[in-house]
Amino acid sequence: MQSLFLALALFLLLNLCAGMWRILRGPTAADRMLAAQLFGTTAVAMLLLLAQAGNNAALRDVALVFALLAAVTAVAFVRRGWLGREENHDSG
Amino acid sequence: MTPGDYLTVILLIAGGGFFLAGTVGLLRFPDVYTRLHALTKADNVGLGLMVAGLALHAESWAVVGKLLLIWLLVLLAGASVAHLVAAAARQRGVRMWKR
Amino acid sequence: MNKKNDSGFLSGNRDRMRAGGWRTVLFALAWWILAGGAMDSWLIGVPAVLVATVASLVLLPPISFSPVGIVRFASYFLWRSLYGGVDVARRAMHPGLPVSPGLIEHEWRLPPGLPRVFMANVVSLQPGTLSMELGDDCLRVHVLDERGDFLPELEKVEGKVAAIFRIPLPPGKSDEMED
Repeated sequence: MQSLFLALALFLLLNLCAGMWRILRGPTAADRMLAAQLFGTTAVAMLLLLAQAGNNAALRDVALVFALLAAVTAVAFVRRGWLGREENHDSG
Repeated sequence: MTPGDYLTVILLIAGGGFFLAGTVGLLRFPDVYTRLHALTKADNVGLGLMVAGLALHAESWAVVGKLLLIWLLVLLAGASVAHLVAAAARQRGVRMWKR
Repeated sequence: MNKKNDSGFLSGNRDRMRAGGWRTVLFALAWWILAGGAMDSWLIGVPAVLVATVASLVLLPPISFSPVGIVRFASYFLWRSLYGGVDVARRAMHPGLPVSPGLIEHEWRLPPGLPRVFMANVVSLQPGTLSMELGDDCLRVHVLDERGDFLPELEKVEGKVAAIFRIPLPPGKSDEMED
């Protein structure tokens, strides 16, 4: 069981690395924000798996904080960052 | 392994599959709106299944509660963020992809 | 919260006690979860729960809700969001990438405020729909497949949300005599 938790955590990490492509690629700032959102959710899942694998309950609290921070980051991005400045409109 | 353990394994692997699908959608879908669909729905289901699998394995009810609370928070955050990003993209004039 | 439209789901002062009771239970549950069930944490937990309850009563007026409505909604929501995940996963993995996005408009029957925001969030997690704009008269929804018939589904969701908040709804365009 322990090894399954660790293997899945590693799988999610690889998943994250694949998501990096979207950050590099864009094309809009919103696309990059989406990748950040993916990181938040995946990080929560990884932390929960690691908490169970290593019997480390504190990691669950870290996951809880991540869950809260992901929302705050995105709201800050939309309200403060993106609606503020100009950039080219690209849909592809 | 007990029957509960088998169920945990199935739920966790299925959850991982949804995370993979979410990332594939994020990479393949043509515009920011469709990518939002992939990300919010697939990742929330993925996390939900993982939380369910881990809850079966949890050592106390308080841990089950914490797992559920985390999932609900991510669910709420995911849905609100999806709406905010979609509304902001529309306001900025990011065009919708049309087939 | 919108002040002029508080007749339906917000109730008067006499419900304060009941709302306070529910909220105390909820906050106590939250504390128990956060503290991991540790008994000695209640020394701080009890005052924290009481302060949170008082603050919430000052900031958010009592909301009338139906426990049966919540249970019904939860089971519907869980299945539909699971299906939503399967649907979008299938589209993402399919070699032909079967999406043809479009915009649809759903005319509000819910009153402004919490019920609408709640529904907009739910819609984003349901199969193929993503709420884009909360207009004054309608909810603008981005759909993954414009050939799909999403409006009856949205009206059904609206009905379930209304049941949670005990809001009577006028009949919809595609009403199918639900409970």
